[in-house]
Amino acid sequence: MKLQYSLIGRQLDNSVSTLNSFRLSDDIRYRPILDMDTISESFRKGGYGGVDRFRDLSGYLNSDLLISYRSKIEEIKNMANVQNESFKTIKDRSSEWIREMDHFPGISPVNVIFRLGDGFKFRDVHPVLGTARWHYGQDFRVPYGTEVYATGDGKVIESGWNSGGFGNYIIIDHGYGLRSTYGHLSEIKVAKGMNIRRCDLIGLSGSTGTSSGPHLHYEINQFGQHKNPINFFNNDMSEEEFNEMIQAFGSKSKFR
Amino acid sequence: MPRTKYKFNPDSLSFDKVRLGVKALLLRFLAFFTGSVIIAVVYWVIFGFFFDSPEEKVLKREVEQMTIQYSLIHREMTNIENVLDDLQKTDDNLYRTIFEAEPIPATLREGGVGGVSRFKELEGYNNSNLVIETAARLDKIRKKVYVQSKSFDDLIDLARKKEEMLRSVPAILPISNKDLKRTASGFGLRIHPIYKIIKFHYGMDFTAPAGTDVYSTGNGVVVARLSSKRGFGNHIIIDHGFGYTSLYAHLSNFNVRVGQKVQRGDVIGFVGSTGTSVANHLHYEIKLNGTNVDPVNYYFEDLSPAEYERMIEIASKTGQSFD
Repeated sequence: MKLQYSLIGRQLDNSVSTLNSFRLSDDIRYRPILDMDTISESFRKGGYGGVDRFRDLSGYLNSDLLISYRSKIEEIKNMANVQNESFKTIKDRSSEWIREMDHFPGISPVNVIFRLGDGFKFRDVHPVLGTARWHYGQDFRVPYGTEVYATGDGKVIESGWNSGGFGNYIIIDHGYGLRSTYGHLSEIKVAKGMNIRRCDLIGLSGSTGTSSGPHLHYEINQFGQHKNPINFFNNDMSEEEFNEMIQAFGSKSKFR
Repeated sequence: MPRTKYKFNPDSLSFDKVRLGVKALLLRFLAFFTGSVIIAVVYWVIFGFFFDSPEEKVLKREVEQMTIQYSLIHREMTNIENVLDDLQKTDDNLYRTIFEAEPIPATLREGGVGGVSRFKELEGYNNSNLVIETAARLDKIRKKVYVQSKSFDDLIDLARKKEEMLRSVPAILPISNKDLKRTASGFGLRIHPIYKIIKFHYGMDFTAPAGTDVYSTGNGVVVARLSSKRGFGNHIIIDHGFGYTSLYAHLSNFNVRVGQKVQRGDVIGFVGSTGTSVANHLHYEIKLNGTNVDPVNYYFEDLSPAEYERMIEIASKTGQSFD
């Protein structure tokens, strides 16, 4: 019996160390990445105690041994419970995080081989109107009919003709307060209300609306404020990498 | 009793005493004197040829001794030359290799000796050759010693610099990393968090909660403290000298100014998620002469060999970078 107990004790120690390593990776790896607070020590340890809980075991010859193992088991049970809960919340948070990452408009809407046009700035002379006004987006100098991709997962909230100057345009709501606008399109491939994924083909570029030549106008709106789109995508990819990315996402896409 | 000369006088048929005049006396004396002098000279010359004077004997012995001394000196000089050669070899092969310095070319070490007429004043004697040879060798040795001492001076400088270099080159982890659990992504091809394709990752990522201290990994000067909305976000570049610069990116806050001198282990900023970043993490890069190098090889102060092995294993796993 005693031998059995010592064997069980070793196994218990093993599980304690495993749990501790779980806790460490929980505290040090997962929670910092997901920007969550760590679980406090008192919470982890809390909830057990009470001297009389093992009263029915006292009074025997090896009572001490029995009681110590029982309390250890209780402790492990408790730790495992807390860890389990913690992992559940981390899992929820991480799937949410991955969703957020997918919805973030983080890529270039057209192939990176095309040069950037006018950026997010105050233009002294509007090329068509000839007056000074703000340019709230990023222009891409692309030829007529270039494929335009959605820059993140989201829902098309507007698509059609805009008489204010965008011509054929699409607005995608990415959630988390982010919206992206694609203007001067020659052709629109998505309809209002459609759920789309990153790298889906949403239209072809053109020169509709107030435009002096074929280009794509790309805007990003965060909580109703215009943001500089150049801060949202990296332009340092190579053409092959961009195509590879489009392919990789295209395999998941509903449309292509 | 002096001999008296008489002369027969036919007139008086008597022998008259001959009286010599002063001139005759002088002539006679001169003849005698010259004769004896000539004989003396002949004797002296003959003796000089066949017998040594005591003085000459002493001098000759001295010359002999001198020659022996010279040969002894020669042996000594050979020894010195050997020692110098050994020093030179050690210098070239050991110290200069350790401190990564170029060996001194042989022409420089041997150079400057020559010119035949330098010892003209020593020529024309019995032992001229010996003396000249010795003087030339001495000159050579002096020159070698000079070059060698200069070289050692250089080496001392290098050693001092090496100490400084060891203190400057990045050598610790930029954040406290117990059990290496904070290591997220290493140098090399990694999955990009947003593009989901394999892109080259030029640094190392460490996960840590926002506000964690970031340490300078070596002595140096802060050359840039930049805030940007894209790319690295808030980042610090430290110039460590010796061709090394290190970069700490996506910081939430700074703790140093541009131009500030920092020591290894100083807190320079705090972990954040600024710039193109999807989570709180520290992006750490090391550049050597403008080229990115794998930072995993620059933790030699912090890690034991076993930890280093584990670190390499962790870093080589194709994880996902946080950009």
